[in-house]
Amino acid sequence: MDSATILIIDDELHIRQFLRAAFEFEGFAVHEAHNAEEGIRSATLKPPDLIILDLGLPDRDGSSIVERLRSWSNVPIIVLTVRSREREKVRLLELGADDYVVKPFGIGELIARARSALRPRVVAGNDPVVRVGPLEINLASRSGTIDGKRVVLGPKEYLVLQILAQHAGKVVTRQQIMRQVWGAAHLDDTHYLRIVVRNLRKKIEVDPARPRILLTELGVGYRLAR
Amino acid sequence: MSLRAARRRANRVQGPVAQNSGQRQLMRRNFSQVGRALVRQVRGEALSVLTSLMLVAVTTIALLILDQFFALRHVTLVYLVPVVIAATKLGIGPAVIAAVAGVGASAFFFYPPIYSFLVEDPQHVIELPLFVFVAIVTGHLASSLRRQADLARRRETEVHDLYAFSRRLAAAHTPNDIYTAIREHLASIIGRRTILFETAPPGVPGAALSDEGQVPDAVKRAMEALAEAGKGSGNSSVVEDGEGRVWLVRPVSGKAGDFGVLAIDLGQQKGKMAERVDAVLADATAMLEHLDLGRALSDARVRSETEALRDALIGSVSHQLRTPLVSILGAATVISSAPGNRGDPRLASLADILRDEVDRLNNDVQDLLDAALISSKGVRLDCEWVEPADVVNAAVDRRQRLLAGHRLRVDIPDELPFVYVDPVLLEQALGQIVDNAAKYSPPGSQITIGAKIESDAVVLSVRDEGIGLVGEEQTRLWERFFRGQRGASSVSGSGLGLWIAKAFVIANGGQIEAFSEGADRGTLVSIRLPAREPATPDLAVSGDG
Repeated sequence: MDSATILIIDDELHIRQFLRAAFEFEGFAVHEAHNAEEGIRSATLKPPDLIILDLGLPDRDGSSIVERLRSWSNVPIIVLTVRSREREKVRLLELGADDYVVKPFGIGELIARARSALRPRVVAGNDPVVRVGPLEINLASRSGTIDGKRVVLGPKEYLVLQILAQHAGKVVTRQQIMRQVWGAAHLDDTHYLRIVVRNLRKKIEVDPARPRILLTELGVGYRLAR
Repeated sequence: MSLRAARRRANRVQGPVAQNSGQRQLMRRNFSQVGRALVRQVRGEALSVLTSLMLVAVTTIALLILDQFFALRHVTLVYLVPVVIAATKLGIGPAVIAAVAGVGASAFFFYPPIYSFLVEDPQHVIELPLFVFVAIVTGHLASSLRRQADLARRRETEVHDLYAFSRRLAAAHTPNDIYTAIREHLASIIGRRTILFETAPPGVPGAALSDEGQVPDAVKRAMEALAEAGKGSGNSSVVEDGEGRVWLVRPVSGKAGDFGVLAIDLGQQKGKMAERVDAVLADATAMLEHLDLGRALSDARVRSETEALRDALIGSVSHQLRTPLVSILGAATVISSAPGNRGDPRLASLADILRDEVDRLNNDVQDLLDAALISSKGVRLDCEWVEPADVVNAAVDRRQRLLAGHRLRVDIPDELPFVYVDPVLLEQALGQIVDNAAKYSPPGSQITIGAKIESDAVVLSVRDEGIGLVGEEQTRLWERFFRGQRGASSVSGSGLGLWIAKAFVIANGGQIEAFSEGADRGTLVSIRLPAREPATPDLAVSGDG
């Protein structure tokens, strides 16, 4: 997996340089593009395994790039964004971006996100068990254990946990969860989700007030820590 | 100047007909022919003559009845009543008619020989012409008094309008506001549909239409031609729009030349009306000149450009200051984690230093941007139901490195009500307070971050064991750019943090306050947010539907 190819789309030379160095140290192959047009062309000609997209490119709006890429490709996309742009983050995630990292960031953080994004999505197949720290979720039997002990989950609780587990390590927006669990009619009733999350934390966290497994991304959604 | 005065006089002499309200003129527009308007005017005058005769008749009947009971003498004097009424209500003409009719009536009904216009008594022969004279003088006085009252009332509305207009000018933020104000002001004094074209200032191409109303093409063309060619020409022209309507098109000028072209819908009639509108406009233009419209316009342009510039600056400062920080932090962490260097504690600690400094700088940039946004655009909220613990955890997690030197205690009970707030802004507000607690308390001391429910509010609090608050710090703490003297030299900061925190908390419907027992006795800051429970059907969170 470490021979995976990363495409970096960023207009700042210095950022491209340190990203290239970091990913090459980790054993990835790296392509660069310095604007949106070139990035889209490069993604078409030499399809990468992961795209790192800096928002605020001079030639094109970030969401239109994600939309365009998503029209023909499922390649994981991580966007680099700035603080207090939660609406934009949610929009990009809804359009199909896989995750985001807030600038300025330490490289360790980005590499961890990249590895999560590259990990194939878990489906109920050969090994339908997702392990997140002490938590194990069996997608086949629709059950969970914590430290080997069985956790009794309500139907909604299981559904929410399953969605998060399938994207373990990645952020999932509230709307994505709401749509799958409660349906499109309840997209605005996000407090349903908060109640379910509160109940889930009581069952799986050591200290529900200081969660370590089911994390909140403020203003965006939730993430199951890996 | 004298021409303008003459026009003004002409305008005034036209009297009640000319001063008809716009509504009345609109109604009249429906009766298309000019002839019919004339008939109406004659009919109007005939009506007032008839009214004055009616007044005389009523007076005569009243006198005849009274005459049955008392022997009346000097009845002629009583006819002054209809004369004065006619003079004040209908004008001098009907008043004269009333006077003559009064004389006739008293000669016919009251002075012997009765039922004849002949008068025998020499005293009466003197009395009657005398009455006519007195009646005409009184009528004239009464009617001019009425005209003056009318004039004063009209002046008053004009001054009132003008005052309102100049206030609008002063408050205008964009040239467009000013053009709209001018258009509406002129439309209200002329009582006609009015459209204003902006004359482009030098160096700016094109003329903009200040009103989106429907303008006939012919008028548009005439206005454009005048806007382009007629700089300072001051000519007005009358244009027919092909639908039988007539438009007066004329430039509006100020000290610095023309600043617009005006088109006025005159309806079907030209001639008199166009002349009158021209006269009114000449007055209005003089007034606009007096108000120094040119400067108001350029002020407004500068104001709107300044705002645009500030917004652009905020955006570019954000980009320009942050981009190097991204590279610095990124490159440093790559170096410290590069294969040859990995595990070297010295490099790791250098990377940590860079990380801390970059975080601090980044926060300062964010503070500046937040402050600029708050003062230029206010706080924009994106509210949702929020778990208070999530906000506290986010604020603490984001500042883990800053808090590493302190003993941190987070005190959150299991069951707190949700709050309806903007979680990101609330986290930033709480974060500012946590920052301050860490900066102004000694390493190793305890910082307690808590959340609790207090009657109908959720209270988030940060308590430190730091330098506390003394004197003016207690009251000036929340001011923009205020920094306490004791910490200013040793602790870095912009003096914006708490001001931003307060703005964010208040925008979220909350209250924020600080309490300290004095110097070096720590500070307790609490954020109080209204607690409400969202309506949640049980089945929604537990059922399997």
